[in-house]
Formats: sequence, structure tokens, C-alpha cells
Amino acid sequence: MNPTSFHVLWLLCAPPALGLLTLVRPPRHGALVLLAGLPLPLVALWLLLGLDTGPLAGQLALGPLLLHWRLDGLAALLWLLTMVLLLASALYAAGYARAAPLDARAYAWLWPLLGGLATGLGLIWIAADLLLLYAGLELMGLCAVGMLLLPGSVAALTAGLRYLLFALVGSLTWLLGIALLLGAWGRLDLAGLAAVAQPDPVTAIAVALLASGLLLKASIFPLHGWLVPVHGSAWTPVSAIHGALVVKASFFILLLLWRLLLPDAIAGALALGALGSLAVLWGGVQAWRAAGLKELVAWSTVGQLGYLMLAFPLLAGTGAAVAALAWQATWLQLAGHALAKSAMFMAAGNLLLATGATRLEGLTGTSRRLPLSLLTFGLAAVTLMGLPPSAGFTAKWLWLQASLAAGQWAWVAVLGLGTLLSAAYVFRVLRCSFVEDAPEPVLRGLPLGMELVALALALAAIGLGLAAAWPLALLPPVSVP
Amino acid sequence: MAPAAAWGLAGLLLLVAGFCLVERQLWRACQGFVAFGLLMALAWLLLGAPWLALAEALLGAVLTGGTLLWTLRGRGALPRLALRDETPRRARVTAPLRWLLMLAWLGLTGFALLRLLGLEALTPPASATTLSAATGVLIMGPAVWGFATQRHLLRRLLAFNLLGSGVFLLLAGLAGPVAEVQGLILVGLVVALLGSVLGAALLLRLHAAAGLVSLEPAAGADP
Repeated sequence: MNPTSFHVLWLLCAPPALGLLTLVRPPRHGALVLLAGLPLPLVALWLLLGLDTGPLAGQLALGPLLLHWRLDGLAALLWLLTMVLLLASALYAAGYARAAPLDARAYAWLWPLLGGLATGLGLIWIAADLLLLYAGLELMGLCAVGMLLLPGSVAALTAGLRYLLFALVGSLTWLLGIALLLGAWGRLDLAGLAAVAQPDPVTAIAVALLASGLLLKASIFPLHGWLVPVHGSAWTPVSAIHGALVVKASFFILLLLWRLLLPDAIAGALALGALGSLAVLWGGVQAWRAAGLKELVAWSTVGQLGYLMLAFPLLAGTGAAVAALAWQATWLQLAGHALAKSAMFMAAGNLLLATGATRLEGLTGTSRRLPLSLLTFGLAAVTLMGLPPSAGFTAKWLWLQASLAAGQWAWVAVLGLGTLLSAAYVFRVLRCSFVEDAPEPVLRGLPLGMELVALALALAAIGLGLAAAWPLALLPPVSVP
Repeated sequence: MAPAAAWGLAGLLLLVAGFCLVERQLWRACQGFVAFGLLMALAWLLLGAPWLALAEALLGAVLTGGTLLWTLRGRGALPRLALRDETPRRARVTAPLRWLLMLAWLGLTGFALLRLLGLEALTPPASATTLSAATGVLIMGPAVWGFATQRHLLRRLLAFNLLGSGVFLLLAGLAGPVAEVQGLILVGLVVALLGSVLGAALLLRLHAAAGLVSLEPAAGADP
């Protein structure tokens, strides 16, 4: 086994091992978490920097079964992002446990679930066959449901159970799709499938089955109903990691399989783009109408995920130049939104925890008393609205260029309306917090670490826009059929 | 023609699956599921996958079935679930929607099977693998219907597990019991087990907190 594959294996196994260790004595101080967790993003960065010789690929033989994996620039970048965000959430969680009244047993369970989530996401990024993807997807999904339901109010339990039932059936549609692919083409590894699979009706049915499960897990409109009630009562660090990464992983798999198996299915791609557009508008309107701050942020996730779906129509049959722009925009939006959304969930969590409110009206007067959290919220909102110089701006600019070059004018309108809607809901929050004549709120003190972690993530989202050239240069070029 | 033992086993699987889906006495339905898991293990043995048979017996019959039975028996201080499903039937108005869902599921699978197997799919199965695929499709139909129709969460978990077994049988029937198929089914069994454990634990908490056994707020009062 060469050193690189050893590091890949280590990066997969270390998080759950750490999580199980902390089950005995869950950490309550950030310094310890930082010390134990810092090697993870560093190893991921080391793997990324070691890729200048080209992508890595390998096989793992388990008896007669061959598992395929590959590590290209995109997978390594996403893995680095995952590790950074997981570490940030873990740091935040240590402070959160001191500031908020949490059930001690439930809090202890957070850590192994976080570790399992890291492994599941890592498997998804590096998997090069459908079996590994299946294992990663299910591990991630089950860990995510478990984490979201740790606090367990009745509304959240109902929403979570509904999500669990649908996700389980979704995993069966995924398996049924794989059964058809395996029956038709006789193999599971992605490279082999790409070589032999023809876009015939059986492949189309299989991809439709795979997609229906994935769209549900990614909470793409109209299958988003479970997301908001679950986030309403979930713990802040869990919401942050879920909104930032978990929903994106399903999107990543869908895009991967779509481009592999049905690269020329333009009608299907347009339908997915239309679903995304509806998600942008519906999510924006609902966020603007939401009564609670966490609901607002969760609805904004529904909307922002819609932008990602624009990748399908812009990558299918549009030519090399447009595809390259859309390809870069997609991953930039994914990373920028992941950083900004986790920062926003954390800032929102800080505001709610300090004021003890859940509704927007409870935030009056926070501008003077909690300036740091409000600043973080504003900076994260800059990325979500797509103002310069954030990653959100660069991504939207690239999409705009791609839509114009492809002559798909509808997406321009969607991008414009989505930006206006996000500005509307962000300014609703800011307006509430700048009300000065409200009675002085009684505030609970927060550990400084909680505010600093959120601020660092929001700044990273803006910095990603300024330094977008570096990650974009590491992206593998888009292949045009 | 497939051997008589395979035909007998397929018939038994269908019979037990149907019993699990319609039985309102939850204890008996869950016992039926344990029997179904053991029959599935026999089916894997017949298809020439002894390790998979062992995994099915352990993960499917003993652990998943045991979890469901254990949920019914009650745990510690949490209040027990009623042993009989007393939730009312779903409104007749939405029935076409459920039939549509089931027909869409079966239709898509059936169409793909026709394309894959050709006209052989329309004749009585000639080998143990095609018989397995046919049994899988016949189990999936009522399982989708049960999942969409029933309200009681334990029965919906049961229906999900039966649906999963149907998909496994179809998978093994389409591709034969090769290593990839066994790996997929093994992952699927673990997912079904973990999902059932998680679902059962959440059901007990929901029952303790609000006295609910279904996802609708009050029985009979659909909003």
C-alpha cells in the first residue's frame, strides 16, 4: 500500500475513531477539539497539494469484490472543505454545550455521529463505483437523521420520521436503479459503466430511479418539505453541517451519474433546471415570510440549492465554453454556500441563544449588544445574496455568462429574482435587529469561540471569492460529450 | 423449469409477505416478518450464496425482526404501544394516488425487465434466477401499496423491509448471485437494520411524548 492510499484510509477512519473515543467523555472546551481535530484538514490539504501529478485511482479487494476509488482535484477540494467545516462545527459544538442546556447523553452521541458523517462524506467524494457510493450515501444519511433528531421536539420527531421513511424508500429506489444498471451492463464501477452504458430506455429508467432518491435527500423542490421543520429545533452545529454539506453530497452524486450515464438527455436536464428555478423562487418567498430566524435560514437553503440545479441544463449539450463556465460556477457556488450557510446558521444560533428568542421580533436591539454575531450574519448574507467580492458573486457572474452564451435566457431571470428575494429576507433580519427603541434585552453571555468560528467561516466565504483562481485551477476540466 | 423447491419457496415468500402486510395484530405481523427473513435466507441458500444466507438470517430475521418485536414489548419507563393497529384507513379520495404510485413503480420496473429479458419475461420463469426476479416484483407491488396506505409507523417500517427484500430478490435475479450483488445486498441489509432501529426508537419517543403511532396529528382528523 503506497503512502497516499494509506492517508486516504486514515482520513476515512480517524473521524469515527475520534468520535467513539469522545463518547466516553464528550469535550466541552474548544482547545481540546482543535488539538485532536486539526490533523484532519491538514491531511486533506496535503492530499490536495499532492495531486499536482494528476488524479489518483485505486482498487481495494475484499475477497472477490473489487471496490474502486479515485481522488481528483474536485474530490480533494470537497474533502478539504468537509474537514474544515466539520472541525468548525465541532469547535462550535464544544462552546454550544457550555452555553445551552443540552441533555448530556444526547450530547455525547453527537460526536460518533459527526465522525460517521465525516466517513460517509469522504466515501462519497472518492467513490468510483456504485457500491461505495451507496454505502457512503446511506452512512451519511442515517448519521444526519440521527444528529438532527437529538433534541427531539414532537414537531421535529414527526418531520424527521417522515424524512427517515422517505429516505429509506429513496435508498430502495437507488438500489432498484443499480439493479437495472447491473442487469443491463453487468458492472458497477463508474469508469467501466461510462465505457459500456448506452443512453437507452433502461438506463433512463435507472437514472430516474436513482435521481428520485437523491432529489429527496438533497431536499430539492418539491421534495423539500422535511427540511425546514427538522432544522427548526435541531442544534445549531448540526444545522450548520447539514445545511452546508449533507444536502450537497446528494447533488454531487446526481451530477456525477447524470454526466456519466445520460450526458445528452437535454429534456431531463431542462426539467431539473426548472425544478431548481422553482426552488429558488419558492425558497426565497418562504424565507421572506418565515416567522422564526432558523426557519428563515433553512428556507434560504432550499432556495440556494436551486441555483445548483442550473448546472444540469447548462452542462448538457451546450458546447465546451459554456460548460466550462457552468462547471466552475457550480463548484464555486457549492463551496461558497457551504461556508456562508454554516456561518449564517451559527450566527443565527448565537443571536437566538443570547436573546432567548426564536422569532425575528425577538432580535430587536441586538445591533448594539451583539455586534460580532450580527456582523457575521451580514457577511454570510453578502455571499448568499451574491454581492462582490464574495464567492457567491463570482459564481453568479459565471452562471450569467454561461446562460447568456448558451442563449438560455430564463436562467438570467431566475438569478436576478433570486438575488432580489435573498436581499429581501436578509434585510428583514437586519431591520429587526437595528430597532433602537425596544426595551433593553437581557442577554446570556456566549463563549467568544462560538462567535469567532462563525466569523472565520463567513470571512472564508468572502475570501473564496477573492482567491477563486486557486481552487478553480485545481478543478479537473469538464469533459464535454 | 425451475425446481419444485424453488417454486414452493417463492409461493411461501409471497404468502408470508402478504400476511405481514394485511395483519393488524402487530405482534403476529412482526413474527411473520421473522419467518419471512428465514425464508429469504433459504432462498439465498438455494441461489448458491451461503454467506448471504447467514447474513440475511442474522441481520434480517434475528436483528431487524427482533428490533420490531422488542419495540412492541416496550422498553423501560416508556409507555407501551398498543398491540393492535387501530388507526383508521386512509381517505378513499386519495386512493387513486396510491394506486398510481404502485403502478408507476411496477410499470417502470416491468418495462425495464421486458427490455432486459426480452419476451422471456412474459413466460413462466425457467430458471431459479428469473423466478427470483419475478418473486421480487410480486413482493414489491403489495409492499409499495402497504407503505403508501398504512398509517401505523411500525407497519410502514415492516412494509419498507418487505419492499427492500423484494428489491434484493430482483437484484439477485437480474445479475445472478455475483460478488457485487452480495455486497450490495449486505449493505442494504445493514441499512434496513439501522433504519428500522432508528425508526423504532423515534416511534417510541414520539409515542411517549405525544401518544402518536402515526405521522398524522390526530387519528381520523386529516387536515
